[in-house]
Amino acid sequence: METNNIPHVQARFFTKQPQFSVPSAPFSVQAQVGTCDLSSLINSLLNEGDGEKTNVDFDFLIDGEFLRLNLDKHLENKGISTESLVDIEYIEKQQAPEPEDSLVHDDWVSCIQGCKDCILSGCYDNTVRLWSVKGSPFLTIPGHSAPVKCVQWITDDDSTVKTFMSGSHDQTIHIWQWDSESNSVDCVAACRGHAGSVDCINIDHTKQRFCSGSWDKMLKLWSAECEAVEDEDEEDIPHKKRKTSRRKVQTRVPILTLSGHNEGISAVEWIDTNQICTSSWDHTIKTWDLEQAEEISSLQGSKVFLDMSYSPLNRQIVTGSSDRHVRLWDPRSSDGALVKSIYTSHTGWVSSVCWSKTNEFLFISGSYDSVMKLWDTRSPKAPLYNMTGHDEKILAVDWSIPSSLLSGGADNHLKIFQYKQ
Amino acid sequence: MDLFHDKSASESDGDTTDSEESVYSGLEEEPDTSDDEEVKNDDKSDSENGDNSESDDDESDKENVIDNDTEDKDVNEEDTNTVNVAAKNKYNDKNNTRTTSQTVEDEYYHDSSDEEDIRNTVGNIPMEWYRDYPHIGYDVEGRKLIKPKKGDELDEFLQRMDNPDYWRTVTNKMTGQNVLLTKEDVSLIEGLMLQRTPGGAKETYEPWIDFFTHETMIHPVTNRPADKRSFIPSKWEKLKVGQMVHAIKMGWMKRSTEKKEKEDDEPKYHMLWKDDEENEATRRYRANIPAPKATLPGHVESYNPPPEYLFTKEEEEQWLSQEPEERRMNFIPKKYDSLRLVPAYSSFVKERFERCLDLYLCPRQQQTRMNINPEDLIPKLPKPKDLQPFPTQQAIIYKGHTDIVRCISADPTGQWLASGCDDETVKFWEVLTGRCMKTLKVSGTPRCIAWNPNPAICLCLVAVDQSLLVLNPGLGDKILISNTDSMIQNKETSEPAGKSPPLSWTVCEDDQYDEGYRFILSHPKEITHVSWHGKGDYFASVMPKGDSKAVLIHQLSKQRSQNPFSKPKGLVQCVYFHPIRPFLFVATQRYIRVYNLLKQELTKKLMTSCRWVSSMSIHSGGDNLVIGSYDCKLTWFDLDLSTKPYQTLRHHKKAIRQVSFHKRYPLFASASDDGTVIVCHGMVYNDLLQNPLIVPVKVLHGHKITKDLGVIDCEFHPTQPWVFSSGADGTIRLFT
Repeated sequence: METNNIPHVQARFFTKQPQFSVPSAPFSVQAQVGTCDLSSLINSLLNEGDGEKTNVDFDFLIDGEFLRLNLDKHLENKGISTESLVDIEYIEKQQAPEPEDSLVHDDWVSCIQGCKDCILSGCYDNTVRLWSVKGSPFLTIPGHSAPVKCVQWITDDDSTVKTFMSGSHDQTIHIWQWDSESNSVDCVAACRGHAGSVDCINIDHTKQRFCSGSWDKMLKLWSAECEAVEDEDEEDIPHKKRKTSRRKVQTRVPILTLSGHNEGISAVEWIDTNQICTSSWDHTIKTWDLEQAEEISSLQGSKVFLDMSYSPLNRQIVTGSSDRHVRLWDPRSSDGALVKSIYTSHTGWVSSVCWSKTNEFLFISGSYDSVMKLWDTRSPKAPLYNMTGHDEKILAVDWSIPSSLLSGGADNHLKIFQYKQ
Repeated sequence: MDLFHDKSASESDGDTTDSEESVYSGLEEEPDTSDDEEVKNDDKSDSENGDNSESDDDESDKENVIDNDTEDKDVNEEDTNTVNVAAKNKYNDKNNTRTTSQTVEDEYYHDSSDEEDIRNTVGNIPMEWYRDYPHIGYDVEGRKLIKPKKGDELDEFLQRMDNPDYWRTVTNKMTGQNVLLTKEDVSLIEGLMLQRTPGGAKETYEPWIDFFTHETMIHPVTNRPADKRSFIPSKWEKLKVGQMVHAIKMGWMKRSTEKKEKEDDEPKYHMLWKDDEENEATRRYRANIPAPKATLPGHVESYNPPPEYLFTKEEEEQWLSQEPEERRMNFIPKKYDSLRLVPAYSSFVKERFERCLDLYLCPRQQQTRMNINPEDLIPKLPKPKDLQPFPTQQAIIYKGHTDIVRCISADPTGQWLASGCDDETVKFWEVLTGRCMKTLKVSGTPRCIAWNPNPAICLCLVAVDQSLLVLNPGLGDKILISNTDSMIQNKETSEPAGKSPPLSWTVCEDDQYDEGYRFILSHPKEITHVSWHGKGDYFASVMPKGDSKAVLIHQLSKQRSQNPFSKPKGLVQCVYFHPIRPFLFVATQRYIRVYNLLKQELTKKLMTSCRWVSSMSIHSGGDNLVIGSYDCKLTWFDLDLSTKPYQTLRHHKKAIRQVSFHKRYPLFASASDDGTVIVCHGMVYNDLLQNPLIVPVKVLHGHKITKDLGVIDCEFHPTQPWVFSSGADGTIRLFT
């Protein structure tokens, strides 16, 4: 008798992961069940047939949004009728990232990028550092005369000679060539032209060109050729000291300079071979066409953008800004609500954001509140996981290696979190 | 005339008899005492008919006008005859009726309709009701009035035949007696029938007799000689005039002309409302204020109240213990089985008396209550929410200093921040990350720091005790840094001025140069304030104790100093250059003076109404400035409006240390010793008619109060709506 009074919801479960598929017949579940109950329900369904006992945690999605509250609350919030049949998708629950390693630097870690089994980090002591994923240091490269602001791998293949570049407060970008076997590094080229600190660099998909944004409001396009061309007419700039390289460093000048921002550029991303997207301190995100060498569109925000990340998987942009919010933008839409959703959980400036390279729903964000957060776009209210460990501001996060989440901050540490797929 | 008079007199005689006769005809019931006399009189009058009698003289005088119609003479003669006959008839009638009475007076003298009714008191009823009765009514004393004998048809006929007056004999219905109409009555009736004046023969238009002529007579009316007193001056008048003259001399009395003048001087007022003229009594009556109604009795007052209203023991005890004024009700509810058993209310008289006393004592006055919503009195200010953006949250703390951070300054691009601290260091910070990029040890306490506002020049001024350091921090664009250095080295050679410069520029070399020092300007006294001109070539330094050299202006390109004021008035606190025009704002303890540097004159003097000005900031338009003072006041001046404060804000609880305008956003901030920074929206409109809008939008907390000092300095980020603040707790905080 009593069970009749408890409201029930007709639910049909489906999944895109075939190893966990269950019959598509609708079930009547109690309205106030949570994810744990549903998860155990699916597990019991899976365990009915064969003798193997599986126990997997599942997450449930209704209309592309994670179920975080009880079922009835969620349906009420979303305005879905409890009378009708509810389709519930379930996926295996994302496992919590585990802290793996902490790499100690001599000074603040300003930028990081991983590549296969190597990690590149820029530091405020004017050096670029190379680490293995396991945490052992390969090299410390002094080359810049001012704190390094950005690093970027050029090659991401398994060849023994790898190239990367670094931008710095000294207004130059250095292209480095690293021979992993002999563990020696050569400065291939120094790119000069910016009149302010180089805050962001990004290489295009063909690995032929890269672009950089600077505090001087300029966006510059450079060649990313790594072959050490013997250049006769090399300019000699008196204020620059080159200690690292024995032989003469090639000086490169930009192919293209684009102006349009009113303030410094904080992040630059390639959208395709001819389009780039920049975010700036002047509260705008601009898209540029490189063939026409002009600005295509501009998205107006309300706060300073500190970082931006573009995902080729879902063609969306996330930005971190000088308030507490992470915003999701669609660069292709020009009217209507520009901001598709706002992710609020940080308590300080969001200094860095990065999309997952493999999962179109996941991204991470690092903030001055010294917490890195893993987000799923389908869960707009709360992040999936908070990764603590830093004692100071996080200045950079990276997810270039799909299995590790990297974060570096003002506490001189670079933290590696293991991410299990 | 005489002839006419006589005739009329003779006629009037006839008239008098007539009138007498008619009196007789009317009066029947008057108790007759002098019947015989009357008869005699009548006889006498009969005999004297036609004579002039003295007694009738007046009457004749009166009536001569009426009867002087000569045409009617014949008729009159006839009338006299008829009158005589009638008189005889009358006697007969008198003999017939017992109740005849006579009076000497003229009937019309006291004629009234009431008098007739006195004879019969039955009132105005149809007299045929008495047709079958022998009487016709009752007199005043209740006696029956017996109908007079009426003859039969034959008598009637005989009467008609014999009596010549039959045609004018009518019967009084009330008394049943015959009445002989007089000549006047007849003529009156005839007149009425002919629609003439009821007065009968009365002359309507009398001839005008001009007794007093309008013509001026040459002879006086009286010939009496004039009195003596009319020739000699009056003694009493003389005395009176003397008194008046004295009064005028003494000023007790005003001449009429003077009075008039005085009246003219006074403004004239007119009663605008009629109600004002109303006297007190009528106004009270009109604007009646009803007495407040006594509250109606409820269930408690009932003789049989519901049980819940009855007192419990405790309640009763409490009631008894309370003072009468404190009691909730002035009686104890009691229950009776029936209304019959209810005793007399003991305190009835007392209660009535109190009610009367209340009514008597209560002020009966209509209070014109102003129905004004208090919120309406507050000027309508926009909500802070609508005035975004402004700093709201603490974002970054710049840690590194170990003592009071005295001064901060942001570079014009907004990438760097310079700060000076009591630990004798100057630090340069990266704004974005809060990273200290450079630390410079100085030999003293940096009092003030100012970054060159020109983005093309990379220089920073630091006032350390008595020396003013010009630093090149070496941050930002390398080319700019080198350009700045080369500009300094290639100084414009200028002709040496006639006067010796107030101080010399020491060019730094070697180690100092490598550290960033470019010049040291050694001042004779402690420097408290430095400020740049907007173009970045001139800068000013303030030495409050420098007497004649209190304010010095230095030119960077010529590496020269000059002294603009021979002797400034008061203790100079700070100076600022006008952002556009060649003006210099000099703030002393109490006044702000605005000098025109081209004309070298004082343009304006602003009254701050503060005890001690601590800081000043000028709006980027140059027409508005805010002043912070040690007596907690923040004052906004609109130079176009007045030299008095436009608005004064007292939001801080302790001394204001610094005020600052934002260069782009309509914001200004004030830092105070109470540990807060208050951000206000200060919108200045281009429209001259619209006054600036000032709305406090945010109080920023964060700094800890150390050694009774809170926030020492605050400055806005040059491009973003962010504010930096430095405090005595050794931190610099960025609020966004």
